[in-house]
Amino acid sequence: MKKGAILCVQRARFFFYFFEEGEWKRKEKTPLEKFLLLKKAGPDDIRALKDALSRRLERIAQMVEILTSAHDDWAITTKKDYILLETETLDFTEAVKLLNAHGFTNDDFVLRCEYRRKWGMM
Amino acid sequence: MTQQKTESSGGISELWKKEDWWAVWLGLGIVIVALILWASGGTIKSIAVSVPSYDQFSAVPAFFAQKIGGLIGLFVVLLAIFSIAVKLLGHSLKEFIPGFLILFLMAIVVQILGSWNPMKEYNLEAPVLALIIGMILGNFTKIPKWFDTSLRTEFYVKTGIVLLGATLPFTMIVSAGPIAFGQATVVAVTTFLVIYYAGTKWLGLDRRFAATLGAGGSICGVSASIAVGSSVNAESDHVSISIAMVVIYATIMVFLLPIMINFLGIPDGPAGAWIGTSEFADAAGMAAAAQISDKAVESFTLMKVVGRDMFIGVWCFILALISVTKWERREDNTKPDAKQIWTRFPKFVLGFFVASIIMTFVIAGVDPAAADTVNSDVISPVKTLRTWCFVLCFLCIGLTTRFRELARAGLKPFLAFTIGVLVNVPLGYIFSVLLLGDFWASL
Repeated sequence: MKKGAILCVQRARFFFYFFEEGEWKRKEKTPLEKFLLLKKAGPDDIRALKDALSRRLERIAQMVEILTSAHDDWAITTKKDYILLETETLDFTEAVKLLNAHGFTNDDFVLRCEYRRKWGMM
Repeated sequence: MTQQKTESSGGISELWKKEDWWAVWLGLGIVIVALILWASGGTIKSIAVSVPSYDQFSAVPAFFAQKIGGLIGLFVVLLAIFSIAVKLLGHSLKEFIPGFLILFLMAIVVQILGSWNPMKEYNLEAPVLALIIGMILGNFTKIPKWFDTSLRTEFYVKTGIVLLGATLPFTMIVSAGPIAFGQATVVAVTTFLVIYYAGTKWLGLDRRFAATLGAGGSICGVSASIAVGSSVNAESDHVSISIAMVVIYATIMVFLLPIMINFLGIPDGPAGAWIGTSEFADAAGMAAAAQISDKAVESFTLMKVVGRDMFIGVWCFILALISVTKWERREDNTKPDAKQIWTRFPKFVLGFFVASIIMTFVIAGVDPAAADTVNSDVISPVKTLRTWCFVLCFLCIGLTTRFRELARAGLKPFLAFTIGVLVNVPLGYIFSVLLLGDFWASL
């Protein structure tokens, strides 16, 4: 279908969760869930969680940097456990290609695209 | 550098940023104002202008002389309430107001022409005239871009459906709901699987594409294509093709189903249920049912809104789950979320239920004489306003269905969808007329 005949508006929504990296798909526990299951957390457990979080947040920062450098129309929302980047002006397939080209995989982000009618049709 | 256009989504602002919610506020607002006026001895009857049937055109000037004040009042009220919504939805009032004036004048013309008895003899009543006139103008003249702002097909039909809720007893909705759901689910699941299977196994379409196409042809038309396309992260051209398929077949069915119903002599209740099962879009289905009768509109609404539209969120969740766990993974990643059962729930359905509950309680709580005045001073004018919303919607269907923009879908999706239609329409007939015809006729 030609671009001019696109009858919907796509909203690409990239969720970058602070505490998970696709563990749910492998039915594994996230570092935070493992930490919360500990009966008696010691300094090493806390440091391990810090390292996991630090690494995860750094990866999120890199992904946000890649996306915002490539395209400036992003609505950015921060929540207690994730950061959300949304755009209606860049196709999600383009954004995913960019992230993949920099070594990020489908475990690094959650994509939920949303469509709506382009004009007042039935 | 791209200009910042995208705004953050979600949150409480959806209550005034979504057309669905506005249909609830406007529909319920009209019902509540009508009730308040009734309780204080007044009525909204003066602005609820309906066009009576007539034989000679000489009756038209007399109608205008008598009703011009009411028509102006109706225009002002509709313009005011829709303008508030359109403004808060982020559209330009400079474009909406002149567009709405033209649309309202067209609605008067089609209702006057459609009330002429010779026209009625050829089944050329207001709904079908609105569609035909709209389509001729939309496809053979150049419609200015600013006019699009007033062509809010879905908004008008959803507001009309909320108003329709006020005219249906809640007991009827409760008794028909499970039957509607059962019938709709059997037909929708069968049609979905047929389109999906034909699309993936015979025609080699991508699974997400086939699911988006199947949803459009089985659940609730364009809304379903959009919702399921979103849930499975379908590509935008695939969603667009599905929308085009739905619109093409919805447009065919809006004429074909009433012709078949008249030809087969199907009673109004089963006829509405058949349209509710086999039409692909709310607006087009309403236009088809309105060509039959008010009773057909009621059974259509029960089938389509209560039996099909309400469950779109559940469908989306199931398909998102299948998309992630069963289909081949792509690099674009999603995660099924049960919250979408609510986020994708069509909110205007809540307005439809609430309007029905309010009116049912009001009528049950007053004596028979007062109930009669509720019928004449509230329900009857609400029905008339509902008709105006529907006529505006039917005009918009015609004006926005531009076949040039739909004719680029490709052969494979067309074939897959057509196979679905060939299953859906006979199956809808079997359930609505042969198996459950007595139930739908007795509503």
